[in-house]
Amino acid sequence: MKVENTWKKAGLAAVLALSSTALLAADIFVIGGKPDDPFWSIVKRGAEDAGLVVEAQGGSVTWLGPQNYDNLGVDAAELIRQAIDQGADGIVGPNWVPEAMDPAFQAVVDAGIPLIIYNAGGIEAADRLGALNYVGAVDYLAGVAGGEYVGKAGKSNGVCINSLPGAANIEDYCNGFVEGIESTGGKGSVLPLPATAQGNVTAVSQAVRAHLLKNPEIDAVFTTANLDAVGSVQAIAQSGKAGSVALCGINFDEAILTSIANGSQACAIDQQGYQQGFYAVSILNGHINYGLNIPTREILTGPGIVDSSNVEATMAGAKEGSR
Amino acid sequence: MSTDSIASGGIAARIAGFVRRPEAGTLAGLIIVYVVFAVLGGGLFIGAPGWSSFLNMAAEVGIIALPVGLLMIAGELDISVGAVLPAASLTVAIISGHYDLPVYYGVAAALAVGLMVGAINGFLVTRTTIPSLIITIGTMFGTMGLTLGFTVMIAGSTGVFMTPDDISRALLGQFVGGMFRVTIFWWVAFVVGTFYLLHISRWGNWVFALGGDRESARNAGIPTRRLTIGLYMYSGFAAAFVGVSQVITFQSAQVAAGQSFIFNSIMCVVIGGVLLTGGAGTVFGIVFGTLTFAIVNQGIFFSGIDPNFGSIIIGTLLLAAVLSNDSFRQMALSYASKKS
Repeated sequence: MKVENTWKKAGLAAVLALSSTALLAADIFVIGGKPDDPFWSIVKRGAEDAGLVVEAQGGSVTWLGPQNYDNLGVDAAELIRQAIDQGADGIVGPNWVPEAMDPAFQAVVDAGIPLIIYNAGGIEAADRLGALNYVGAVDYLAGVAGGEYVGKAGKSNGVCINSLPGAANIEDYCNGFVEGIESTGGKGSVLPLPATAQGNVTAVSQAVRAHLLKNPEIDAVFTTANLDAVGSVQAIAQSGKAGSVALCGINFDEAILTSIANGSQACAIDQQGYQQGFYAVSILNGHINYGLNIPTREILTGPGIVDSSNVEATMAGAKEGSR
Repeated sequence: MSTDSIASGGIAARIAGFVRRPEAGTLAGLIIVYVVFAVLGGGLFIGAPGWSSFLNMAAEVGIIALPVGLLMIAGELDISVGAVLPAASLTVAIISGHYDLPVYYGVAAALAVGLMVGAINGFLVTRTTIPSLIITIGTMFGTMGLTLGFTVMIAGSTGVFMTPDDISRALLGQFVGGMFRVTIFWWVAFVVGTFYLLHISRWGNWVFALGGDRESARNAGIPTRRLTIGLYMYSGFAAAFVGVSQVITFQSAQVAAGQSFIFNSIMCVVIGGVLLTGGAGTVFGIVFGTLTFAIVNQGIFFSGIDPNFGSIIIGTLLLAAVLSNDSFRQMALSYASKKS
């Protein structure tokens, strides 16, 4: 394993030396979520802002996202292969579903294309695949932060809403949340939602409400998507538990910040998606053009917590589309 | 098939009379599904929390399923509803939230967006020979792209927040008794209107004729083009209406919303006994199908069934419903043809 990695790194270095002398225009392909996904549009914004420098140096940044999340792992693997076929000089990609995506990432490394894993997978994925670095939050830790937050706020029984069962990062959020709340002496569980509820805020809301009514001992809800958080605010209110059930969630937008400001949501875990897109592209660009390197491995962009104490400051960034 | 009718005695005739109603199979399915989940879910599901839970869900998908059902009876599909819904939500949120104009401006513009997409669908379906499935997939992506592009361009984010005024909240976003969404009453109004159109007015016969045989329908003097365009505009309007009521209720619109409504509305219609190939179906069938779908979806959370298996139950229900509808329809059709 170790030997193999060393070989890969040596191979990479050789290829990088070649590519950096051969051409000075870095055509970087970024694989990400749907461009209309609230979180991913911010990552894309970061990647595009970093792309201004790339373009100034004669290169380009191309965003590749799936049309939907119905078959995420396979679709994303396909996008990675598309990037290779289109002659990418560097590829940035999230390791959402390792089983489906690892072979495609392997093909990137085998083709001698510098790779940065971002957003999902962690440094373990970067090491396993022979990528240059990992830029992102550790999903599991983001979940832990949420669990600890509600636990320290005096909540003892939390449920994580999983609206995308099977996706590795959502599973990590939920497992982290359960771990976090259990570390404060509470109890944690996971509620998976069927595909018929995906993207339907009413269905999510009614499912969460039903679950809260069926399990009256639950006093904390943890969500992993913006739409789910918006739906859960209503679910808590309609089950007559506003004020007694605390809501925390991964990510936020203007609507969620308003909920935090008016007290109907307790906290949001921020992984600063803008930084993920921005740094992944910047590091790769410097690497391809000038052979630069960042010795720090695993560049963490989160977790940070947004709650009533810093919601005002966060709102300004949200209005700009960069937070 | 016809052996049943020949052997009809007194009781047999009465049973046959009930079975002849095309929605009988769907109603039977609805009752079975409700009883199963009532037993599993207990008092909570039988009481107001359970009813409000599945009615709230049924109302939204039901409003869209009605025109989608009419289109299927007329032999067409509409996939674009999944994109019209968020387009309408964001139209309201951008006009009345981002630009802070009166809410009725936003609502009017959103409904107009729905009607417009419907008109484009209808126009393309009637003027080309491309199947409506393909056309509406095309307009779905077109609408999604425009929604995303304009939202990011104008609001700089893919989720837009708005605060509805008191009147629009009372009309579209209110919870009656703290849990029943006002959308349920709108759904009833849509059902009554659609029932009149399909089963009482002359227009309804045209819809059936269209699904039965388009050429003969046109030869018989039915304005098939106008009718098709009208049906698509109705489904665009209905999807936009649901989008409007969602944004007023949740005070936030997300670009990524709505896609589950495509399959969900088709499922409701098919469970409701509408023939996929067109020419047969009833409004009550669609309503029963929608209720069945919503009860199964929400019942899972009340029943204590492992939610991991939820999708299996939904899929099984769809297949079972189509199978049973098929056999009921065989009987219904053989009776109807005998009568005429």
